[in-house]
Amino acid sequence: MAEPHKPTSLDYIPEAVVEKENRGFPVVWLLPLVAILVGGWLIYKTMSEKGPQIEISFKTAAGIEQGKTKIKYRDVMVGTVDTVRFSKDISKIIVTATMETGTESALTENTRFWVVRPRIGAGGITGLGTLVSGAYIEMEPSQSGEKQREFTGLEFPPVVTSDVAGTTYRLRSEKLGSLSVGAPVYFRQFDVGEITEYNLSDDHDYVNVSIFVQSPHDRFIRTGTRFWNVGGVSLTMDASGIELQMESLISLMSGGVAFDTPPTLAKTPIAEEDTLFKLYDNKAQTLQQAITETITYVAKFKTVRGLNIDAPVEFRGIRIGSVKAIEMGIDPAQKDVLVPVVIFDLEPERWAGYKEAETSEIVEEALEESLADPRERIEKLVRKGLRARLGSGNLVTGQLFIDLDFIPDAEPATIIQGSMHPEFPTAPNPLEGILAGIDNILDKLEKAELNETVENLNALLNSTNSLMVDLDKRVPILAKQVQATLEGTRDTLESLQSLTSTDGEIGNELYNALAEVTAAARSIRVMSEYLERHPEALLLGKDHKP
Amino acid sequence: MRAREAGLTSCHTCGLLVRLPASGHCYCPRCDSDLHMRKPNSLNKTWALLIAAMAMYLPANLFPVMTVTSLGSSQSDTIMSGVIYLLLHGDWPLALIVFVASVLVPLLKMIALVYLLLSVQRRSPLRKQQRIRLYRLVELVGRWSMVDIFVVALLAALVNVGALATIEPGTGAIAFTAVVILTIFSAMSFDSRLIWDNQGEPNGGTA
Repeated sequence: MAEPHKPTSLDYIPEAVVEKENRGFPVVWLLPLVAILVGGWLIYKTMSEKGPQIEISFKTAAGIEQGKTKIKYRDVMVGTVDTVRFSKDISKIIVTATMETGTESALTENTRFWVVRPRIGAGGITGLGTLVSGAYIEMEPSQSGEKQREFTGLEFPPVVTSDVAGTTYRLRSEKLGSLSVGAPVYFRQFDVGEITEYNLSDDHDYVNVSIFVQSPHDRFIRTGTRFWNVGGVSLTMDASGIELQMESLISLMSGGVAFDTPPTLAKTPIAEEDTLFKLYDNKAQTLQQAITETITYVAKFKTVRGLNIDAPVEFRGIRIGSVKAIEMGIDPAQKDVLVPVVIFDLEPERWAGYKEAETSEIVEEALEESLADPRERIEKLVRKGLRARLGSGNLVTGQLFIDLDFIPDAEPATIIQGSMHPEFPTAPNPLEGILAGIDNILDKLEKAELNETVENLNALLNSTNSLMVDLDKRVPILAKQVQATLEGTRDTLESLQSLTSTDGEIGNELYNALAEVTAAARSIRVMSEYLERHPEALLLGKDHKP
Repeated sequence: MRAREAGLTSCHTCGLLVRLPASGHCYCPRCDSDLHMRKPNSLNKTWALLIAAMAMYLPANLFPVMTVTSLGSSQSDTIMSGVIYLLLHGDWPLALIVFVASVLVPLLKMIALVYLLLSVQRRSPLRKQQRIRLYRLVELVGRWSMVDIFVVALLAALVNVGALATIEPGTGAIAFTAVVILTIFSAMSFDSRLIWDNQGEPNGGTA
């Protein structure tokens, strides 16, 4: 048996089958070629897909993460944040982001960026999705304007995005009320817009509120449209009862603005974008007050007790203005005396009012004239006797108002052009007139007659006094004389007594004489009685029997 | 004396020692598989695959291997960013493993192959035993780089919870797979016997 694997005996090893050698193209070299092509293409694709690099500055980087935070537009990713760093003066956060390709045209000076985070706002809760997914940056693209790569991010999401058609207007108010950004704008209780912004005016005198009214409702805003605040609840109590008003639950929470155009102003032109309107506190104000122009006057009164700020200024019962302020001022008549000074506004638009159906040209002209230059108009009226006086508006509370009326026999006066405001001539009010009359009487009494009387009395007393003094000097002499006289009188009386007593001579005779007289009188009486009974006795004698 | 000088070779498949004729494509008489004295075009193939692997190495490291989308926020990681992430979170042993297995090993493998190929082409007589050990190491270690790919593939299949969390393999993963596979093939196509071929030549030293 042969050993198959004997190293020395190589004859057992079989021959291999031989085939003709085939040296073709080294296919294996296609592999690196393909690999290089694929790799190169991948890198090229990535590089070419890299969109523009942009920088956005924010005040805070809350929720923004490097390499993670996305930039989205309508929930589609348009970029990714690369780095987050401070600006050189470390006042801002600068976010560098790589945008997707194709966004170049949307990156202009009007493009806006803001961070979407969960927010509780007027219109509800927004950005809840970012609670789990983390914040992202929202982009509002704009293709108009110059191309830009550096942006300033908004701190708050814009209330109105550029893809909503509409118009913005400005409102001016004395106070903000309870308005907030995002609060609704109502037209006939229909939500037609939002408050986009509010801030203090440069001089801090007013609050500027910007509102956005969606198209097509913005065509209802005319130059005569009135805006008023509907925030919260308005409770009014007047002669007709208690009225509670509330626009909507949202406006109760976040405030709101409503607008309407008074019928008289419905024909005014449609308001342009950014027109400035006054924001009234409530609807009632817009109805009674359609005022844009005021003329300020001052009036000086003796006392203003009972007059409040905002008290009406009336002309024969029609309100034409209101009291703005009550201050102390110098009385021009007595330089060093302070008197209350009332600053009030007249609102000339209030007397535009009623027109006859067929107004004569003269009336129309006069009306136009009065509206054209109300100051001059008022000056004319003052020359005719228009005066300001305090009237009693409410007898119970003693509230006063300023009553403008013509005083028939007023002293001539004109408007005094003061340094601040022109001064309106005043007249005492009717009650004041009565008081003044009483005053007058008292004055006269005090000044004229009473004085004279007192002087006279004084003189009288003086003379009496001197008389008394004179008397006083003469009294001892007089007393002696009187005494002497009295003594003499007593003597006389005593001698008279001794004379008249019955024991005395005269007395006796007198007694007898009297007895005689008595007897005579008796006989006369008897005779007269007899004559009375027998009158014939005068002719026929006594004892004659008929 | 070497088998080649005696015109002998052994079958790759069944190990039968065969006498080869001077030219022509031969088959094993026992198992009918191809017989070569040396692997044909070994250097060419190795070079080609190696260059292909090198070409893929760049995208493999530049592109994200994996994109994790969790609750709406997605994060893509390249191999190096993953290593840095682990390092920053203090997981340096894990970072080291990932770095060695995914970055260093493929790189060293390629460098080793280049060295082997160059040394064979220049018929270098030096350190033949170290070189054969290096080659064996390259063959042994090469496949372990596939671990990364398996992890990504498994995660992509397992973590797919819709909006909550999704893992997607990235371009880098494919490139990396290509690198690993190409280097494995490259190492396979390298005929280690070439190292010894200059044995006995005037400038070829002894083993």
